[in-house]
Amino acid sequence: MAIVAETTKFSKFAWPILAWGVALIFFFPIFWMVLTSFKTDADAVKPEFLLWFTPTLENYANMTDNYDYWRFATNSIITSVSATLLTLIVGVPCAYAMAFDPSRGTKDILMWMLSTKMLPAAAVLYPMIFLAKGLGIYDTHFLVIMVLCLINLPIVIWMLFTYFKDIPKDIIEAGKMDGLNTWGEVREILIPLAWGGIASTALLAFIFCWNEAYWTVRLTTIDAATLSKLIEGNRAPEGLFFGRLSAVSTAAVGPIVILGWFCQKQLVQGLTFGAVK
Amino acid sequence: MGRIALNKVKKVFGDVEVIPPLDLTIDDGEFVVFVGPSGCGKSTLLRMIAGLEDLTAGAIEIDDEDVTEVPPSKRGLAMVFQSYALYPHMTVRKNIAFPMRMAGIDEATQNAKIDAAAKSLNLTDYLDRKPGQLSGGQRQRVAIGRAIVREPAAFLFDEPLSNLDAALRVGMRLEIMELHKKLETTMIYVTHDQVEAMTMADKIVVLQAGVIEQVGSPLELYHTPRNKFVAGFIGSPKMNLIEGAEAEKHGAASIGIRPEHLTVSKSEGTWKGRVGVAEHLGSDTFIHVHDTGLMDMMTVRINGDIDARHGDTIYLSPQVDQIHRFDAQDLRIA
Amino acid sequence: MANRTIPRLLQTPAVLLLLVWMLVPLGMTLFFSFIRYVLNNLRRPEWTSPSIENWRGFGNYKFVWNQDGFWLAIQNSLLIVCSILFLTVILGVLIAVLVNRSFPGRGIVRVLLISPFFVMPAVNAVLWINMILDPVLGLQGIAVGGINEVIAGLRNAPLIGGFFSLWPELNPISFRATQTSAYAVIMMVTWQWTPFAVLIFMTSLQSEDQQQKEAAILDGAGRWSQFRFLTLPHLGRPIAIVVMIQAIFHLSLYAEIEIVSRGNGNKNLPYFIGELANNNIGAASATGIFAVILANIVAIFLLRMVGKTLME
Repeated sequence: MAIVAETTKFSKFAWPILAWGVALIFFFPIFWMVLTSFKTDADAVKPEFLLWFTPTLENYANMTDNYDYWRFATNSIITSVSATLLTLIVGVPCAYAMAFDPSRGTKDILMWMLSTKMLPAAAVLYPMIFLAKGLGIYDTHFLVIMVLCLINLPIVIWMLFTYFKDIPKDIIEAGKMDGLNTWGEVREILIPLAWGGIASTALLAFIFCWNEAYWTVRLTTIDAATLSKLIEGNRAPEGLFFGRLSAVSTAAVGPIVILGWFCQKQLVQGLTFGAVK
Repeated sequence: MGRIALNKVKKVFGDVEVIPPLDLTIDDGEFVVFVGPSGCGKSTLLRMIAGLEDLTAGAIEIDDEDVTEVPPSKRGLAMVFQSYALYPHMTVRKNIAFPMRMAGIDEATQNAKIDAAAKSLNLTDYLDRKPGQLSGGQRQRVAIGRAIVREPAAFLFDEPLSNLDAALRVGMRLEIMELHKKLETTMIYVTHDQVEAMTMADKIVVLQAGVIEQVGSPLELYHTPRNKFVAGFIGSPKMNLIEGAEAEKHGAASIGIRPEHLTVSKSEGTWKGRVGVAEHLGSDTFIHVHDTGLMDMMTVRINGDIDARHGDTIYLSPQVDQIHRFDAQDLRIA
Repeated sequence: MANRTIPRLLQTPAVLLLLVWMLVPLGMTLFFSFIRYVLNNLRRPEWTSPSIENWRGFGNYKFVWNQDGFWLAIQNSLLIVCSILFLTVILGVLIAVLVNRSFPGRGIVRVLLISPFFVMPAVNAVLWINMILDPVLGLQGIAVGGINEVIAGLRNAPLIGGFFSLWPELNPISFRATQTSAYAVIMMVTWQWTPFAVLIFMTSLQSEDQQQKEAAILDGAGRWSQFRFLTLPHLGRPIAIVVMIQAIFHLSLYAEIEIVSRGNGNKNLPYFIGELANNNIGAASATGIFAVILANIVAIFLLRMVGKTLME
């Protein structure tokens, strides 16, 4: 291998060090947040306790008293899980039909769906508030679920479409010859074969729902408010509460970051709509 | 039973007429091969018979029953795909059982049929494997097994051997022919390989641009091609086609002579040329001859071996009774 | 078989939902943009509810067009989006090439690198603006204070003290100020989205044709030529996609701007609309329509560029 032969001694050592250095720099803010979450609020701002301090769990223990964390977390879980499921229920049949029974308009429909993602949310902010209040659904789980579903639907359909396209059409046709109807094709062939793709699509949709910070903040006050709203509401603690703010932030992002680690491969195929694999 | 009739079958994709209205009858128990260059519509035709593709116009009958609007699974046909189309998430046993499960056949009967099929296809040891763990030939056999257990009125094969390597292809070809002899069921087989067509078919249907050029037994096609296209397509190496003055001598717009119907001499003959490349196969030798003044390159096939070197002068003489004559419309002159 | 009913039926819910989602609110925005509609107006109570009676024609558009804030918002939108795109693509390519080689711990490096992408934007902003960038209590403040202390200590040292006494005292930068708040946003979003670019470029690099590279080496191509003539063109499509997806997300940046400075100095179009929507709905709607037009220009450009590659 010529490429190996060219590697000099210098780059053999410098390369990994450089790569590790860059990775650590990028991870540092997260590390710092987690570290700070184990400091008391008073210690958190003292330079002498930068790295050496007595770790405490008090910030986590007081999360409910300080921030009512679980109330927001529950809302986040309810809305993200429901919206993800709803998106899949609407998206799977649609992507299935597009992948295996494409008509001449299918490409245009897909492009149009993607273009709805480009509609600036701010442009329709007030009508949404107006409609929500008029229909009496402002600050309800239902509203948040519907909006999360709608903003993720185009990406979910695109992702599923790219996964489904990878299934050879012959297999679906063999199923047709063997006596499957449409529902049978989905149940017997599509879902078993595209299970990995559907799961990673669901995971990504869930992450996007969980992290959403425009509509969830603007269409809720308290009853349906999610973690984004909680953090945004404590945007400027004036330095007094770094410890407890770090703890609640860590609790808000921790599960998602870990989930994300498991789906990085699928993330690429999904987010680039299959154009990069 | 498996008599299939196509009446004025037509297919249009967008603005393109892939298959102009076409009639064809396939008798019960026949092995019919659709052959033609890629894009000639042979696969589309097969898929229309299967019910996987709509008809733009016309009708398809199976055993005198109009099935044009009948869904694929209700036509009583089984199909073997080029990619085998096995269900990758199911074991071989489940793959073969699948059509029977869909038809609601009880499990005891299912197992009996699976075992019988597996035995005849040498798959008994592989029943619990997944398709991914099988070789190409084995996958092909599973696909055939899945078709057999349905006891269809007819088998449809869509280029089933083109994903196999050359050695396996010959073996599978024989297996499919034996299967046909054993089951005596109608089989429709699509291929672009004229060798497969010649060796397997009872009846060959030569297609070009959606049009049937000729229907007949392999030897009919070989001996009396209806037109220049069939003449050039059937037979290997290809027939030498000559136009111009030499053809006019025979009272035709063009004449054709198969490589095996030319005799070679180093000293005298009808036509003179220069040896280009000689391919020595042992049993035969193919000599490619240049500078005959008749066509770009003429191919000769002779039995056994001959000492012909690049650049040698060589004389060729056609067997006069084997010359095919075609008119200006490329049709055969009887 | 001859019917296309089932596939149509399966697509209907999704298409219908998106159609309603796109048309109804947008239609309302369009209507509001042509009327006088102000939520709190004691003098003209008839303007506080939407009605065709309050028709204003293009008045709202003219009003917005003549506002300095509107142009500033467009300027900020473009500044923020373009800077982030530029930085993430450059950093993304460099880091992707860096971690594409195999070295010990590559798996962990990848996990560490991708992590910022999954951080909730609100947390990202709170974390950066407080714990890292705060001029007094954040790491920046602590670091600057520390350096100043070290320098102060060295001033009294023999020999080199004279040299250090020439050094000025460093001042920490406040990133909540008008001049700097946009940079804070660019910084934190770049931190979050560079991993995304890295991930995509890295995946793309792995599908690079190694034989082609070996052929190039035989042809005498050096490291740089290989990168310039093989790797970069290979990355063309992923770069286009990274640009498109980021443009979609960053044109509607909001939480970061709100949290950093409440729009002071970094107000982009969505934020500007949000502020107007607290009271002057007519003007907010007109701005919204401008935003839609801007987004469409970008969208047409991007879809042209990327759309075809997606459809292959």
